[in-house]
This record gives sequence, C-alpha cells and structure tokens, in this order.
Amino acid sequence: MMSTVFLLGLLYALFVTVLFLVGVKLVFILVIAIVLLFVQYFYSDRIALYSMKGKIVTSEQAPKLHAVVDRLCALADMPKPQVAIADVDMPNAFATGRDQKHAVVCVTTGILRRLDEPELEAVLAHELSHVAHRDVAVMTIASFLGILAGLLTRVLAYAGLFGGFGGGGGNRGRGGGGGAGQLAILELGMLAFSALVYAISFLLIRTLSRYRELAADRSGAILIGQPRLLAQALVKVTGEMSRIPTRDLRNAEHFNAFFFAPAFAKGISLSTLFSTHPTLERRLQQLTELEAQMGRAA
Amino acid sequence: MKLFDVLLGRTKPAQPNLDHLFGLPGAQITLEASMGLRPTGQAGVCFKPATGQQFAETASEVEQLLDLGDKTKIHDESDSYGYRWAVITDDDFGDLINEVHVVNTTLQDHGWGPQLLCSVFGFAPIPGGASDPAAATGASKVAGTYLVYLYKRGTFYPFVPLPAAEKRDSDRERLLNVTLASDLAMEPDLERWFPLWGLPVH
Repeated sequence: MMSTVFLLGLLYALFVTVLFLVGVKLVFILVIAIVLLFVQYFYSDRIALYSMKGKIVTSEQAPKLHAVVDRLCALADMPKPQVAIADVDMPNAFATGRDQKHAVVCVTTGILRRLDEPELEAVLAHELSHVAHRDVAVMTIASFLGILAGLLTRVLAYAGLFGGFGGGGGNRGRGGGGGAGQLAILELGMLAFSALVYAISFLLIRTLSRYRELAADRSGAILIGQPRLLAQALVKVTGEMSRIPTRDLRNAEHFNAFFFAPAFAKGISLSTLFSTHPTLERRLQQLTELEAQMGRAA
Repeated sequence: MKLFDVLLGRTKPAQPNLDHLFGLPGAQITLEASMGLRPTGQAGVCFKPATGQQFAETASEVEQLLDLGDKTKIHDESDSYGYRWAVITDDDFGDLINEVHVVNTTLQDHGWGPQLLCSVFGFAPIPGGASDPAAATGASKVAGTYLVYLYKRGTFYPFVPLPAAEKRDSDRERLLNVTLASDLAMEPDLERWFPLWGLPVH
C-alpha cells in the first residue's frame, strides 16, 4: 500500500515536471495543482466514500450505530456527522470531510461483524476525534505544501540553470545546438532532484499522519473514558487484517489508483497502513499509559 | 477551536454546563398549565463510566450523598450502550432537581465533568385531566414524556416515545418545544435530539 501511494505521488510530481519541461507556464501548473487540491479538499468525503464503496445510512437503517454516534457526539459536544457503512469484509473504519459540518464516519461490515459494541464505540470515538481535529484539512494543506516545495525546487533549479548558461544577450530559448546534450543531462538531474524533494516531503507528511493518529487515539480513549477498549479493538482489527484474503485489499487499492493523491483520502483510517499509521506497539503503549494515568488521578 | 490546537491535533474534553437545570421549576408550571403534565418524581443522570479506582470511588460517593435523605431513593443501572444511570426518585420536584445537581457537581468536582452525557426528567399527564391522551383517545398513546438536558450544550429537548417499538411522537415533541421555549434553553439543532430507547426513568 505504501509503495502504491508513493508511486502515485511520484507520478503526480513527474506529471507536473513534464508539463513544466514541455513549456507549460508555471502559472498554469500551479493552477492545475491548486484545482486538484481543491477538488480533493471539497470532495474528500465523496471521494473516500466512493473508493470504499460506502453508503450513507439513516438512523432507521442502522439504529444501533446511529445511537452510539449520537451519544459520543453529545459527550464530545460536536455536531453529528453522517454515518456510512461499506459492504466490505476488510475490518476498517474511516472519517473524512473537510470540517465538522461535512464529515462522514464510515465503518465496514467487516468491522461491525468482528467487534463487540464497546470496541466499536472506541473505534468510532477515534474516528470522531479525527473529525474534531480537522485532520482532512490539515493533511490536505500539508500535502499541498509538499507539492509546492517540489515545484519551487524545480523553479529555482531552472532559474539557476539559465542564470549559468544563458548569459549572453538575455536569450531565454533552449536553442543552441551544441548545448542540447548537456541540457538534457541537466534536466535529468533536475528531475532526480525534484523526485528527492518529493520523497522527503512524502516522509514528512507520513510522520505528521502518524502523529495525528496517536492524537486521535488519545482523544478517542479519553472521550470514552476507557483506553483499554480502544486497545482491544486495535488488536482485534490488526489481527484480522493480516488473516483475511487479499481480494478486498486489492479492490480497495484499485479504487485508490483512480485518484491523484489518495494519501489522505485513504490515510485517515484505522487500518494498519504502515505508512500512515504508527505501529501497533506504539499505539498500544500510549493507550496503556493513558489507562494507568486515568486510574491514578482524576 | 484555536489554530494551535488544530495543528497539534488537540481537543479539550467538553465540560458540562450545570446552570440551566434551575430553569426547570418554571417549565414545570408551564407544562402543568398548558399541557396538563406533571413530574413523575423520577429523574436520571446518565454518564459514561471511566476506568480506574478514582472513578469508582466518586460514583459510590454520589450514592452515599443521596442515600442520606430517607425520602430520596437512588439506584444505579447500566444501559446497553455502556452508560450508567443514577436514577433518583423524589416526589418534590424542587428537591429532585437539587439531588440531580448534587450528582452533577460531585462528578464535576472530582474532574469527571466530561463524563456527563445527559439527565432526564419524567413527566406524565394528570390522571383524568383534559389533555390526558388516555382520556382523549381511550387508550394510552404515549409511553411517557421526558425532558432531556444535554450537559455539554446546556440545552433541553423533549422526548416522547410511543409504546410501539422505537417510535417517537414528533408532533408532540415539537409542540412541547414551542411551549417550553420561553422557560428553558431548548436545543435548536434537531440532529441532537437523539432518542433514548429503554429509559430506566419513568
């Protein structure tokens, strides 16, 4: 999964670079990048729901699930998000939407079947914390900054290139038969360099994502007052994830490949995506500490 | 929410608002005059139990505080959603409100304010009264009338379940909402009027 996301992002970076090299104006490239990000930002709920085949359910269709979400929202004093169920056997849950008013919390039938009610409540508390923390907005901006950094590197490198070569007469064209071979090598080098910048920003965004998973674990556990239950749910879900057939997993990936930067459309979920999530051990450690803390002092 | 908290992914647990409960005596008069409803003498405080010895001690302190009076009865129930209810019985409505307040403040003073979900006050038609639905239709249509207080919002909403499984009388709830608007802070966001099926309060 991590490599897929990485390659898709790299493709995005290369696509932008090629546009740049073909001679498309920088302004246009920026506009395209911004439009794509706006689409992701404003349609994050629909993109994520579509990619996981989630369907919004009413309180008549899923009374228990709604009742749990109702109570958690009243406890946390937040507006109730829409509730969706994805008919997928992979045990998973995710929250999406740019703010609390457009939020959707989705669970798969797989997780509904495997977790008991207190554990499911813990998972929902974790997802609601993502909504409260505005993680989709934060991750969108973060990934935009990453792309911007890559783009700026290219611009600066280009400026340096022509500053060095095009000295005489202010000729900004690429012409000049003799320098063509050299230029090609330099352009390749530049490509490699911007790929490197992209890789670094990718890793930084993953780090941010992991940090925010731990933050959601923490807030969710405090909300339900019982960190132990979230830990139980995590162990159950991750154990099941490694045991189930891969068909569903590949399906989910196919849908992801449809989008440009699935990192955050898929990123905020409870599954063990090593890239976006801390290790199970790290998460359990935090929850155990929290449990001990709550037992000691109020 | 502050920008800094957004960046760090922090939310502070929501603290309860306990003051609006004291608008209830005014609401009691309005309900009796215009709807023919009287308090049943029962109320419930619903909270999310937290882990550990500290919380268990606070919960038993609540029971001890209320058990001192001989006309007050309190009992403890867990519901199917993992919440606990302190159900208090007291025929004097003013005392009942005070006792609910004792439960609230005891939990809050020990730092468990964020665990408070809601409290519920039961109302029933005056037997034989003009607006007794049983008298009007010949059959009991309504299983109970409740006022729910949302601690985190500081607002009330009416809940009128029907005897049929998991149905509520929305028309009557809307009527109660309008009737009580001048006495109580009613919850404007209808999404937050969540149903409380299987209430332990009568």
